[in-house]
Amino acid sequence: MTGNASQMIRLMAAVSLLCGLLIVGTEINTSARIRHNQEAIMRESVAQLLPGIEKQIIYGIQPSGELVILPNVETPGPRFFAGYDASGKFLDVVIEASERGYADVISAMYRYSPATRTITGFQVIDMKETPGLGNKIGSDAGFLENFKQLDATHPIGTVKHGAKKNPWEIDAISGATISSRAVGRMLQKSVAEITPAVQRNLDRIQRGQ
Amino acid sequence: MDQPVSCHPATPQQSTPEQTMTAFTAGLWKQNPVFVMVLGMCPTLAITNSVRNAIAMGLATTFVMASANGFISLIRKLVPKQVRIATYILMIATSVTIVDYLVKAISIPVYKALGAFIPLIVSNCLTLERAESYAGRNPIFKSILDGLGMGLGFTFALTCLGTVREVLGAGTFLGFPLFGPNFEPWVLFLLPPGGFITLAMWLLTFTLWRERAAKRKKAREAAEQIAVEAA
Amino acid sequence: MNESLSHIFVDALLINNFVLCVFLGMCSFIGLSGKFSTAWRMGVSVMFVIIVSSILAYGTNILLVRFHAEYLRIITYIVIIASTVQLTEMFIKKNSPSLFRAMGVYLPLITTNCAVLAVPLFQTSRNYNFIQSVVFAIAASGGYTMAIVILSLVRERVELSDVPNLAKGTALTLILAAILSMAFMGFGGMGNGE
Repeated sequence: MTGNASQMIRLMAAVSLLCGLLIVGTEINTSARIRHNQEAIMRESVAQLLPGIEKQIIYGIQPSGELVILPNVETPGPRFFAGYDASGKFLDVVIEASERGYADVISAMYRYSPATRTITGFQVIDMKETPGLGNKIGSDAGFLENFKQLDATHPIGTVKHGAKKNPWEIDAISGATISSRAVGRMLQKSVAEITPAVQRNLDRIQRGQ
Repeated sequence: MDQPVSCHPATPQQSTPEQTMTAFTAGLWKQNPVFVMVLGMCPTLAITNSVRNAIAMGLATTFVMASANGFISLIRKLVPKQVRIATYILMIATSVTIVDYLVKAISIPVYKALGAFIPLIVSNCLTLERAESYAGRNPIFKSILDGLGMGLGFTFALTCLGTVREVLGAGTFLGFPLFGPNFEPWVLFLLPPGGFITLAMWLLTFTLWRERAAKRKKAREAAEQIAVEAA
Repeated sequence: MNESLSHIFVDALLINNFVLCVFLGMCSFIGLSGKFSTAWRMGVSVMFVIIVSSILAYGTNILLVRFHAEYLRIITYIVIIASTVQLTEMFIKKNSPSLFRAMGVYLPLITTNCAVLAVPLFQTSRNYNFIQSVVFAIAASGGYTMAIVILSLVRERVELSDVPNLAKGTALTLILAAILSMAFMGFGGMGNGE
């Protein structure tokens, strides 16, 4: 019995060691590529909202309200992307937002113009909404019209389809109210969280420092 | 009370090339994991709402099965009976962790689409079943072939479902729209009930085909028998 | 996401029912829903294993994060589950041989039940704290039990109906599950109007 037990232990140890080596080896060899992929996707999403962008700076917002330039996309915490064209001129700011929709979390990015305090672009990054219904928030032309000149000086809200009266309201997609409302909520929260720091530090951002 | 190191039957006899090929082809059709053995149901229903996801999931599972089968077959004679399942699961889990990193490195959109179901390949009853009933008893090459065959058969089944669900539910195939802009997709097929219905329909179709094939074979054999007796 | 406990509970139990909406635990759902007695026994065993492994996995994850060993997550979770199942089996065998005879066959199958591995994986990726994880585990496993029990009751009734031979068995179960899944879709959107 003892012989068997020690044999078992030796075997399990050997197997565990082999498995561990394989996993660590894979992780080491793929982590650089994975990071590269994630950054490429981020860059592409930002570029779709800011055509003409040649350079981007990722600003993180410290708890004190101060801005700090982040080295890479992975650092968590409140942040936004500032885009500059080829001559270094400041274009606009892109901010991420997410909120729970109908099925799961909806992740999106929107373009914010500090000069006019309006949202001028919106793009869904990731969602698991119902195909054909909720997931129209990513593609429905009528819905996306809402984000060409969305006033961010008032709290953003979603209203029933066709009932939009004010420039800070979003016309929901009929039949996809819950997903539409989630978009409204995420924008309202994100604007409240991030744009004050953008406006306060606008000078520095425009200089690209 | 000396436990034998392995309670599997004695080493198999010399394998003919046909037998070796059967190890590979069995999983494709005759013993298709989804349509015949009814294993690996979770990803079959969950990841088939588009052809791209179905193929990706199938290939990931194939990789896991082939590599896990290979490893398990390598050490099959050394593993005592008591820790058999634990060891197999450990090796399958390692394969799955590796595949998880590989898919993330190849394509992040595909990784996001497959979501939680890559780690869940570990608890795919198919992988463990093949590990236990085949890789644990057969030489390395045949075990890897079995893993490949079963995995590809699984991929084939997933693709069948994915095709129906994507074509009917979204009007596209691999993202290419098939019908004009006036096509009203049958969205149900992309939703959970659609998964159940599509699988049920394919199962019925396959069972029907197999029964008809078996009937035809029997009729042929009976005819031959009569011909032999008449002679 | 900061979700309230009641929202987590209702979501895992009904809106995104583990079996009928997220497609987890399918093999046992299709295979063991033939009879009510089998179904509820399986459901209860799964509930127990899920709740226990969820708690253990929560603790283990804290250790993994501290040692920056997140890549060992899948392996450690599955080892926890396999051990929980093994211990449960031994415990039942010793304390209640009759219960073991009735349920013992199903216990090893729980190790390969994807619902069991999914619960700790989801609670980790959603960053639930301890209480949220426990509530999630109870609701998810409760949802599984509910689904498999309902299906078994329906199947027992359907046994008495005239079904074409070709469709008997798995195909019929899948169609019944489709109808059940459509019914559960009615729960969608509950509690989402904040």
